Amino acid sequence: MQVKIDTRPLPIVILSRWWRFPVFLLLGYTLYYFYGQPPPEGLTVEGFRALIVFLTCLVLWVTHLLPLPVTGLFALVLPVLLGIMPASRAFSFFGSEAVFFIMGVFILATALLKSGLSTRMALYLLKSGSKSPRRLIFQVMLTSALLSFIMSEHAVAAMMFPVLLVIVNRLNVSRQSSSYARILFLAMAWGCVIGGIATMLGGARVPLAIGLLQDAGHGTITFVQWTAAMLPLVLVLFGFCYLLLTRIFAIDIETVSDADAAIDAQIRECGRLLMEEKFLGLLIVGAIAGWIFLGPRLGMASISILAVVFLFMFRVVEWHDLQERMEWGVILMYGGAIAISSILNSTGAGLWFAQTYILPHLSTPWTLILVLSLLTILLTEAMSNAAVVAVLLPIGMSVAKQFGLDPKVVVYAVASASGLAYALPMSTPSVAIAYSSGYLKLKEVAFPAGIMVAVSWVALMLTAKFWWPVLGINVGP
Amino acid sequence: MTIDTNLALLKLQLFYHGIRAGKDLPSPLTNPFGLIHLVLPEKVSVSVHLNANGAESPFTLRRDGAQFHLDINGRESVPVQWTPPLASYQKRTSSGLLVSDILTVHGDFIAVHPSHPCRFGQSGLSCRYCGSSRELSQHPPFTPRDLVEAIEHVMEEKRCDVVTLSSGHVSTGDGGVERLEKWVAEIRKHLNVLISLDLVPPETNDWIDKTYAMGVDALYYDSDFFNPTDDFNREYEKHKSRQLESLAYAAKIFPTGAVLSHLVVGLEPLAETLSSIDLLIDRGVVPVLTYFPPYDGSSLRTRWTATPEQVTHVYAHLYERLVRTRINPHWVQQYDVVLTSLEGRFLSSESPRYHLKLKNFYETRLGRAVRFGLASLRRHLRVREVPA
Repeated sequence: MQVKIDTRPLPIVILSRWWRFPVFLLLGYTLYYFYGQPPPEGLTVEGFRALIVFLTCLVLWVTHLLPLPVTGLFALVLPVLLGIMPASRAFSFFGSEAVFFIMGVFILATALLKSGLSTRMALYLLKSGSKSPRRLIFQVMLTSALLSFIMSEHAVAAMMFPVLLVIVNRLNVSRQSSSYARILFLAMAWGCVIGGIATMLGGARVPLAIGLLQDAGHGTITFVQWTAAMLPLVLVLFGFCYLLLTRIFAIDIETVSDADAAIDAQIRECGRLLMEEKFLGLLIVGAIAGWIFLGPRLGMASISILAVVFLFMFRVVEWHDLQERMEWGVILMYGGAIAISSILNSTGAGLWFAQTYILPHLSTPWTLILVLSLLTILLTEAMSNAAVVAVLLPIGMSVAKQFGLDPKVVVYAVASASGLAYALPMSTPSVAIAYSSGYLKLKEVAFPAGIMVAVSWVALMLTAKFWWPVLGINVGP
Repeated sequence: MTIDTNLALLKLQLFYHGIRAGKDLPSPLTNPFGLIHLVLPEKVSVSVHLNANGAESPFTLRRDGAQFHLDINGRESVPVQWTPPLASYQKRTSSGLLVSDILTVHGDFIAVHPSHPCRFGQSGLSCRYCGSSRELSQHPPFTPRDLVEAIEHVMEEKRCDVVTLSSGHVSTGDGGVERLEKWVAEIRKHLNVLISLDLVPPETNDWIDKTYAMGVDALYYDSDFFNPTDDFNREYEKHKSRQLESLAYAAKIFPTGAVLSHLVVGLEPLAETLSSIDLLIDRGVVPVLTYFPPYDGSSLRTRWTATPEQVTHVYAHLYERLVRTRINPHWVQQYDVVLTSLEGRFLSSESPRYHLKLKNFYETRLGRAVRFGLASLRRHLRVREVPA
């Protein structure tokens, strides 16, 4: 880091640094004002206050007035402050199984990154692609997508990024004008995004959504059920994305043979496969098998935590590695999101909101899926995907129940749509990482990203309409 | 005191002639650096050397009971306050160093030269500014911890608002910032004082950003003179361009009036000094005019031509330019070894009302707290960390 002195006029500096305080004051006053108001007809006092908590956190999540994890913690405290429930109950929501599943998955991903196994896997996958420029694009996409099947997409992007930088530098392309470098970084980011929805391990939004489903008492979705529902969508999007990238941007390079040398050099640098890496590979395979076969019986969180215990038993990682590399804040954010959803559910606020404001405008269950997935896919471009899930899912599940629709359908629709963000750096970490390369400019990415958003929504709806019923997931008329 | 006694001129004359000691004066009369500290009317602070050769000085310090008087040529008498030498100069730090070997106190500010001796000290002269001398270089070097303890000793005895650290002459690109960083950090950690640094202009402006960010409140890049007539000083000429560029940039980074530059009066034609004042003020820099005529008896004295009467219009010009440009002159307040820009008011007809009110306010406890608070707040607001 280096220091920079802001030499703008002092009033402007003060405004730019402290604008949050008047906003907080306004928010606090609004909170206080509504706290003193009687609840609307059909809603209990607790339900009304739960809505206040929900809207406060929504504003904080959208505006980033507080860091996302801090808003998550605030969501645990607000119900206590507003007298909705005692502290012991409010804080107990943090003990959701989904939170511990997410924690376990993040720890496994950290171990993969730290051991270098994920980089090794990426390099071997990439090596077979360095025959032609098109093949390399395909291989970058495939590697990113496949790795996002087993670890969170942002971890994959973080790991792929330095590898790609070396390749692009070796190809000696211009940062300002190289279309090929742009394709490669987009292939990485969008490969991660598409691969990230394939399993529950690609990001924390799916476990979060399933956690909300479980906490609301609507059953669960298994690892296999989720993957089966998503695979056709992933295949379609993957194919379309590859075609789009290779058609819309010019491939302004003749050969990528230099990339081959760069990959070889990096593979050599990795050295031989160490015992820790072999063990970690087996452990990941074992964990996936556990989630598939034992998940329904033991719970997803139990298996991920058990895998973590094995990690430490065989000293594949040390605790300080986790302290340095883990995004602990994300776990706090998810804990808060689950708490808000549970509070809306337990106080009946979600149901009341759905009955009053949403149901009258929807004619069929299918329109609910259409509207909810479109709203999700648009919101997730500007908001954290977990926040979108936490905001939309409780309401969506309440509406689904009113329609007699299985709330799991809403989980499939919202959780998958929330992962499909392509354009803006704030939409998802893998896109932000691609932007940090300096090869991407928003004005050049906006158009193809817009096409991807539209096609993703259409493909999701087609999958929901024609594929999900085959699996027994009924989306209604 | 008669109405004809001009306090600014009197201060300059005291610098020029020194003072003779009358009878029955307290002992010790001078501080460890041979200076007598007096406060003239209107709270004008002055440190004047005791003229050992005596005969040439028209000024005699006389004691009349508890009252002290400054007799001028045996005809006029000006009531003054004599300030006893600081007892804290004789105190020692926990490592056994004498406070007077570490710092010098000038009115409300403390001067420190962490790498003893300064250039004057190296040449064998005793430096009137930082107290550095060749003998001091024989002492073991002091540490930041020693310095903090020494400042604490002084502050127990008298109020000091500013600590000024000098880097000495450095040829590194940072201009001495890195050398002083640990000293600034230690002072910031333990003491509530304003810090100014006397540095060499750095090669790049990011060092100026860093200087402000690390907790420095004011900055000196000494110009000394711009058109030196002495060949020995021509080495400064080639740095002039970078010097002005650095000063102008620093004036944008630091608060108004907190970028200063010493100009030596008397080493070049006064017309050159006047144009140097304009050059600096146009860039938002406050010139600090130092008038250090060589002591009587030294070989340089015979070559010195600028008498106090000849230089008064330079100080008047400085004061009037500062008042008109609204640059804050308060970084140099109780500077007792120079005639400060605000003391130039005695030589001008421009009203000093606003600046005097502010000066008086800063001298109160509340004023001090406000001044310190605003300096910290400004830094908090303006300094940002950005990825390299």
